[in-house]
Amino acid sequence: MLFLEGIEYRIWDPRRSKLGAMVLKKFEVPLRKDSRVLYLGAATGTTVSHVSDIVSEGAVYAVEFSARSMRNLLGLADRRKNIHPILADAGRPERYAHLVGAVDVIFQDVAQPNQAEIAAKNAARFLKKEGFLLLSLKARSIDTTASPKQVFKNEVKKLEEAFEPKFEILKARELAPFHEDHLGLIAKIRVSENEKI
Amino acid sequence: MKVEGWFGTLELSPEGAVLASVLYSKDPRELTERSFTLSETKSFLPPPGFDLRKASLEYGIFESGAEYDSLLHELTLRKAKLQVSKALSVDQRIIQAVEALDDINETTNSLSERLFEWYGNHFPETGLTGEPLASFVAKYGNRANVSPFDPLYEKAKVSIGAELPEADEALIKAFAESLCSLYARRKQLEIYIEKSLDTRAPNLTLLAGPMLGARLLSLAGGLSQLARFPSSTIQVIGANKALFKHLRARAPSPKHGIIFSHPLINTAPWWLRGKIARALAAKLSLAARVDLYSGEKRPELLEKLEAKVGRIKALYPTPPLKKSGIKAEKSRSSEKRKGPGKGNGKAKGKSWGQEKAKNKSCREGKFSSDTKPATNSMKGRGC
Ligand SMILES: C[S@@+](CC[C@H](N)C(=O)[O-])C[C@H]1O[C@@H](n2cnc3c(N)ncnc32)[C@H](O)[C@@H]1O
Repeated sequence: MLFLEGIEYRIWDPRRSKLGAMVLKKFEVPLRKDSRVLYLGAATGTTVSHVSDIVSEGAVYAVEFSARSMRNLLGLADRRKNIHPILADAGRPERYAHLVGAVDVIFQDVAQPNQAEIAAKNAARFLKKEGFLLLSLKARSIDTTASPKQVFKNEVKKLEEAFEPKFEILKARELAPFHEDHLGLIAKIRVSENEKI
Repeated sequence: MKVEGWFGTLELSPEGAVLASVLYSKDPRELTERSFTLSETKSFLPPPGFDLRKASLEYGIFESGAEYDSLLHELTLRKAKLQVSKALSVDQRIIQAVEALDDINETTNSLSERLFEWYGNHFPETGLTGEPLASFVAKYGNRANVSPFDPLYEKAKVSIGAELPEADEALIKAFAESLCSLYARRKQLEIYIEKSLDTRAPNLTLLAGPMLGARLLSLAGGLSQLARFPSSTIQVIGANKALFKHLRARAPSPKHGIIFSHPLINTAPWWLRGKIARALAAKLSLAARVDLYSGEKRPELLEKLEAKVGRIKALYPTPPLKKSGIKAEKSRSSEKRKGPGKGNGKAKGKSWGQEKAKNKSCREGKFSSDTKPATNSMKGRGC
């Protein structure tokens, strides 16, 4: 933590946070101070704490699967009233549907082989029509044999076509040198043609 | 349309406007209880994109967004704390027990080797090792004390072993007693682990057996971690340890994780093992998830696994054609040997099978609690 002219600054290490890396990679991170964010794969809360800073009048629903990580996250959630910790599998959003409601942003960093599907399931349930999905894809947790480039291509295609809702990718960029073989993505729910008319 | 939210039930018009509500009390403790139930119910979920917070505020259920947020915060915090302490305490107890068991195994292995050498000076003809030897020594000490009703009585009378002075006898007897009580602790731990795992993860226990299941849980760091692993990871869990051993002691390089100690795999013909391992890993992964989320026992998981293995066996009744089989294995095994082992890279058809066998016995030694104590110490003594 730093103090400059009476203002408190926190250090945000892009190598420890995918979102931090995305900021440095010139993603326009669509977080406002009243945003409500569904954060999937909260781990011990390194990034969640920064999101919580930004959405000072909003909320972060922090979903994490591992009880061990959640234990650390709870310390943070105890102090910060805008973090709602949820111990659950992000692949089963129906289990926390009664808690979450609608959100402006879904941030997902779960390092799972079925990341695209998890994103779609959660977006279908919770993401507002005009909301954003931010995603960090880890090539090695999806397929260890294919090249990262190929994996990314497949995953993008999945996001665009395979599930409901289908996404429109606004920006995709690798997060190297902060995170090797990770792709950062920002997407919106694609409005289907007949709905547009 | 009825919708369940954490604060109560809403009746919605087809357009999504709130028509009526049945609310729970605003007591955080009660809300937490409800939330546990709501996580299990799949009906009355809010429709896609439905804004619970906005709707409840518009309908006047809460005075302000701040009230909504702070009550929800209390609920989620409370619920997550309960879940964490429950999950961590059970898993941690199992993990500690598994690790204690491993420690005991390592200790009994080396102590029983010591006893074998030590007592062998005095009475080399017992033919006993491990636990039977320890209890024999603890019982009699000097071979002169062997009871006439003991099957080893005759051998004791004609033994070529050296004398055992009283002071030495007292020492070696006490040593053997300590070893016996370690064996008793081991049994106790095994029973404890079997019971706890069956309660925590009945389906994993059903498919993997309690000891293998407990080891998987332990190496993964908990049931939730295990449930999160893709099945390809479950296939190699435990290989790291073997890799260490391999680097240190030139043990065969690990090809497989601990699931290869599963009877469905280690009794299968070699050319099916990889395929069965994949099927088993997939089902174990499913079982762990069922255990984590529903906890109810689903016997059909085992039936499905057995059916699948049956299909694999029917599909590949004979080994693959020699040529391609050898070739593939040749390149793979020489690759493996690039590591620290000196490896002569000559992997011909026959030695392939032998290598497999060697590998297996190594694994048995390592996970000794799954095998008979006698085999353990035999192995220790061997060569
Ligand atoms: C790479 S870490 C996230 C790091 C975090 N985003 C940060 O920057 O501080 C991935 C996390 O996702 C969690 N996770 C993996 N699969 C999950 C699932 N299906 N549901 C919820 N959490 C999951 C893991 O337990 C792990 O803590």
